[in-house]
Amino acid sequence: MRQTLTRIDTLLRGGFTQRETLGEGRVDVDVRQLASAALPLGVVYGLFMSLYSVMRGGAGSTLQLIATSLKVPMLFLLTLLVTLPSLYVLSALARSRLSYVHTVRLLLAAVTVNLALLASFGPVTAFFTLSTESYPFMILLNVAFFAVSGSVGLSFLRKALDIVFEGATAPAIPRPDPAARVFKAWTLIYAVVGAQMGWILRPFVGAPGVPFQWFRERESNFFVAVWDSLLRLF
Amino acid sequence: MLATRGHLAPGTEPIRSVRLLGVFLAAGLLYGAVIGAYSLRPLQMLYSALKVPLLVAGAGLVCLPNLFVLNTVLGLREDLSAVLRGAILAQGTVAISLAALAPITAVAYLSLGDYPDAVVFNGIVFLVAALAGQLTMSRHYRPLIARNPRHRLARDAWLGLYGFVAIQMAWVLRPFVGDPARPTRFFRAGAWSNAYVEVATLVWQSLSR
Repeated sequence: MRQTLTRIDTLLRGGFTQRETLGEGRVDVDVRQLASAALPLGVVYGLFMSLYSVMRGGAGSTLQLIATSLKVPMLFLLTLLVTLPSLYVLSALARSRLSYVHTVRLLLAAVTVNLALLASFGPVTAFFTLSTESYPFMILLNVAFFAVSGSVGLSFLRKALDIVFEGATAPAIPRPDPAARVFKAWTLIYAVVGAQMGWILRPFVGAPGVPFQWFRERESNFFVAVWDSLLRLF
Repeated sequence: MLATRGHLAPGTEPIRSVRLLGVFLAAGLLYGAVIGAYSLRPLQMLYSALKVPLLVAGAGLVCLPNLFVLNTVLGLREDLSAVLRGAILAQGTVAISLAALAPITAVAYLSLGDYPDAVVFNGIVFLVAALAGQLTMSRHYRPLIARNPRHRLARDAWLGLYGFVAIQMAWVLRPFVGDPARPTRFFRAGAWSNAYVEVATLVWQSLSR
């Protein structure tokens, strides 16, 4: 436990993504160590997220607690697994200094930063869960927290990519910044797949009056659902 | 503290003075007692006295883990003690400002006729106190931002999240003034609703009329 916390702290402080090591195409932290840090952070936020269902009781509330605390880390890790080949190919085409293993480590590090920030929103989610009945509000609040923590994870990634691609193009040849191109492509792929993965893995919060389900029927998509929540708020 | 000078000037020394924290608590209790005096019911005064420190400190505590993680991710961890010092003293400024405005509130109660007017008046008082707290916060952040501009983002994120939580906290903890037409209660019946949903519904209704 203490080791995991120390590892998370080192990661958040940028200890694993220092200029010297990234410049040499290395991320000096094991994939297993990163995964063991990311998992509990996801579980923690999952517990806070499922409080809405637990507060309302009912037969499925305990199952919802278990399901959500597993689904939050799975959402991030499965998205990474699905997008990893395309993300690696893209960065290799842009002449990244990172090998496959180190690309995985960097992406997993960014996911862990994302989950750390998400977990830090946990008390706020819990407070709103205790003080609101509105299901659409809770959905939108969670979407907002996922978006904010996601953007912080992405800014961590962007900083790291800037170092990785530093000096990759000769200043005499004006070409678009490779770090920016890789970052944009990664962000687009990861965000679209992540949003849809979230939709596939739903429900996370657990709608009141609806019996517990591990997964819902295949229908619609994430973006339509967020728009519907916004309209149902009124 | 209010002038941000002397031993409460911007710095890195943690705020450990129990006496100082006691002064903040007493200031919150005092304003709470005055805000609850509108209907001249001692129980409402007691409830409101307890609620004001709960509101000021509670919102801060809920947002604290995020402050810690965000500052670390932004590479500002070395300045965390200075940030916490600023945040605590800003909340202290809110409490002291409320206490300073308590006599004005008391006088206003003598001249305000309706309960809704008293609620609006107290809303303005809270806004003024929040702006005073913001001033202290900005003064503590000034040297930090000069050293590293990322502190501006961290400050704005803190203020945004704190404000977002504090508004809901105030909504949950209402009534503070205490409607003379209703019985005295710690929480209003149906208190566990959402301030933002209520406001959004009102705006939506008025627009769709």
